[in-house]
Amino acid sequence: MRIKNETTRLPRIARGRSLTVLVNGKPVTAYEGETVAAVLLVEGFRAFRHMPASAEPRGLYCGMGICYECLVTVDGMPNVRACVTSLRDGMTIEAGAQP
Amino acid sequence: MNASSDLAIIGAGPAGLAAALAAAKAGVSVVLIDSAPRPGGQYFKQLPASFSGSDSLTHQGEVRQITEALAHHNVTLLMDTVVWDCHQDESDWLLYLFGTTAPKRLRARSIVAAPGAYDRPVAFPGWTLPGVFTTGAVQNLIKSQRVLPGKDIVVSGTGPLTLAVAANLVKAGANVRALLEASPIVKPKTLSSLTAMWAQWARLREGLDYVSTLLSARVPVRIGWAVVEARGRQEVEEVVIAPLGDDWRPDKTRQQVMAADTLVVGYGFTPNTDITRLLGCRHARRHARGEHIPWRDRDMQTSVPGVFAAGDGAGIGGSELARLEGHLAGCAAAVYLGRMPRLELERLRVSDTARLARERRFAAALDRLFTPGSGFDTLADDNTVICRCEQVRLREIQAAVASGARTANEVKGLTRAGMGNCQGRICGSLVARAIAGAGATTEELDSVGSFTPRPPLVPLPLTVLAEALP
Repeated sequence: MRIKNETTRLPRIARGRSLTVLVNGKPVTAYEGETVAAVLLVEGFRAFRHMPASAEPRGLYCGMGICYECLVTVDGMPNVRACVTSLRDGMTIEAGAQP
Repeated sequence: MNASSDLAIIGAGPAGLAAALAAAKAGVSVVLIDSAPRPGGQYFKQLPASFSGSDSLTHQGEVRQITEALAHHNVTLLMDTVVWDCHQDESDWLLYLFGTTAPKRLRARSIVAAPGAYDRPVAFPGWTLPGVFTTGAVQNLIKSQRVLPGKDIVVSGTGPLTLAVAANLVKAGANVRALLEASPIVKPKTLSSLTAMWAQWARLREGLDYVSTLLSARVPVRIGWAVVEARGRQEVEEVVIAPLGDDWRPDKTRQQVMAADTLVVGYGFTPNTDITRLLGCRHARRHARGEHIPWRDRDMQTSVPGVFAAGDGAGIGGSELARLEGHLAGCAAAVYLGRMPRLELERLRVSDTARLARERRFAAALDRLFTPGSGFDTLADDNTVICRCEQVRLREIQAAVASGARTANEVKGLTRAGMGNCQGRICGSLVARAIAGAGATTEELDSVGSFTPRPPLVPLPLTVLAEALP
């Protein structure tokens, strides 16, 4: 969920210009400057991927590019860290699929 | 394209920025490298460039001041860039870089390592479930992305950052169901004075603000309690909490279950030492929690001449100590490079001695209060994943030890723990303590050693490796 200026006591901010990305084929409106992880959480994804063999779900954990748990497929490139990848207009994101 | 400079600084947080400014002012040519898109590190984590608004959460004014000052000197910023290998080449260091605008290699005569720290991993049943986040992840989501990690949130951890995260979640409008301060030696009455002590050290108004935010939102606070298990099928659905004994051993006979979709855990920080270990700097364990830190002389120089280390990556001390150490390291590098008279460094060291000592005293006090005891290692059961990347469970590590493995590298070879994408950054200290056993001394942990870092330090596209070949 995005934090709204109207309902937060945090300092007010303005997000970047809006853009559209495709999350598992579905067009989603997001904002320049947001990360892939942020838009996935906003879209209700918790499991970003499932482990090979065990099929255990994994999601965002360290949030700063250290742990490599939040790997998703971006524009056809697998194993991209969602937490440190910024959105671009028209980006395609594949996440959460069972192996 | 290859590039060269007098000094390469790895990490553009408080320590790296201070080192860059100090060295550049002395006439040293500096390349400052960071994997993030903007300088500042985790402490000065900035809003994305395309966002605008108040900076009171992120201290953007401070980081802007420093970067503007850097612009007047011979400093090249390489953002979005990682160092994936580094070795000596005659009298220089050769750094291998990966980044959109970075040269493939950088030649430097001296290095300041300021890689910072990350949340200290603690393994417990269910810690790999989606919905379990570190405090660092949640701070980033709130401060930099303005996104909430979930709806019904339990925060379990220790130390000032746990308070900060819980307060920020409340301010952001989240339902914080409980804040658990795990340290059993923190008493309710001392919590506010501790916060004040930390706040003097960092920022007075912020610290007091956290406490009043939590009090006014009536967030239930339990001291000496922690989450001992996260449960759910595909994500967190509930958490199990329990009180801790003096050595942080959970009393599972008194455990309770709480519904929650999100668990935030933060048990202090681990210095990021892969660069200093790769460079061959001598490391030692500071205490039985097991983190390695590089040995340094009083000018921040490591055991390898010309290689300096500053900030949380050389031992957790917070942003103010990082700044002081970075400044000293930058000056010491300038002396090493012949751009600053040694006398000036001596003078600086004398004038900074009291401030350095004060920051280190605070760091030591926080460390005593907020470092998990050995009983916390009993959280993981036989089936708990220790190495998240390679899915190695505690019983597999114990089996390797039973079959004769005594060092971290031997367990790595037998089980694959530490061989995955994160290269042991998350499981390194967990594996070391699993080998040494509960209650191990610092010396016993030292004999276990740590995973040997190997290039590439981070996963890379094969084309990058192919292009790096001579």
